[in-house]
Amino acid sequence: MTEYPAAARSNRPVVTIKLASTSDELMQCFALRSAVYIGEQQCPYWEEFDGNDFTASHLILYVDGEPASSMRLRWFGTFVKFERAVILKRYRSMGLFVPFTQWAMEFARKKGYSRVYLHSQHRLWPIMERQGFRRVEDKVFHFSDHEYGAYYIDLVPGADAPTMHSDPLVLNRPEDRMDVPGILEQSTERGATNPHAGWSERRAN
Amino acid sequence: MNAITRSIDGEPVTTKLAMKMEDSMQAFAVRAACFIGELDVPYSEEFDGHDFGATHVIAYVGDEPVGAVRVRWFQSFAMPERLAVIQRFRGHGIGQLLLERCRKLAESRGCNMLYVQVLPPDAKFWEKQGWRRLVPEAVSSGAKPIVAMVKAVDPSKPLPKVEAPEAVVLRRDQQLDVSGLPLGTASN
Repeated sequence: MTEYPAAARSNRPVVTIKLASTSDELMQCFALRSAVYIGEQQCPYWEEFDGNDFTASHLILYVDGEPASSMRLRWFGTFVKFERAVILKRYRSMGLFVPFTQWAMEFARKKGYSRVYLHSQHRLWPIMERQGFRRVEDKVFHFSDHEYGAYYIDLVPGADAPTMHSDPLVLNRPEDRMDVPGILEQSTERGATNPHAGWSERRAN
Repeated sequence: MNAITRSIDGEPVTTKLAMKMEDSMQAFAVRAACFIGELDVPYSEEFDGHDFGATHVIAYVGDEPVGAVRVRWFQSFAMPERLAVIQRFRGHGIGQLLLERCRKLAESRGCNMLYVQVLPPDAKFWEKQGWRRLVPEAVSSGAKPIVAMVKAVDPSKPLPKVEAPEAVVLRRDQQLDVSGLPLGTASN
């Protein structure tokens, strides 16, 4: 979870970004996308909820605790695809899009990904290019009533990006908080009692 | 789904009660599109904590979810609220269809009164649909004034002596249980 700017001292809104990790947070992502794509852009329901929501990671951004923006990340073999990025109407013009994209890129980089790929609506091309994204090719394609171009950007994967040789319990941590101990590390205090094993292999706490 | 009542561009218009998570999700998506997307209602007001104690009815054109309404159940009445129809499907009476489904549902549960809260400019429209004002004047509840309206579930029977506990029902939902507000989880 990332917070900026420092809250208590100013009356600027507090912006919080995190990986959606509960069903409420996932519901908030879906509500934001419904508001923007179905409500504003008239996207049909089945195109918006296309069957890939439960193979993806969802990021959510809050402004003063209120859900304001979300993004869906799908993990492919050699790249991560950013999709379904929305900002609720009342929170536009706050300059949220670039820091949110940067947060998502940092998230992917720490996870060990070296490339981000996305489809950008034509009107947003200059914003993507200013952030360093490059066109994959010149082809323009369209779906759900909008024109798109494919963009990519290369990332420098984190030096401590997870590998098979990372500490097994580090790999078990919540993915947006890989640098702090997770709940399963606390569970190790209970020891290995092997509660479902045969009596001979069980151990007392 | 119930019997096909009518169609839009050859696609049947139907209603159904939400029975599965995906159904509820569709109802929430329709409401988010209309209330958050179009009317700029904050998420935490729209999803106010009552969604899991209520019944949701969804309207479809073909297999596309296009309308939704939520019914909350009180001892002496049923309360349809959060009625929404996706913009481009308006003007086809889908709202009426949803309310009729609510009426039938209330009837099947032995409930004999429906109660709604509407915005003052909409009250005339509801009166034309057979609803009557519970109290003559709009009541200010929170930020917006609203008009409380009632309708008999069975039009052939007179409305029972009204016992709507105004003091409770006219409160905005948040005030029923302030601590129950499902605000963004980042802040609570």
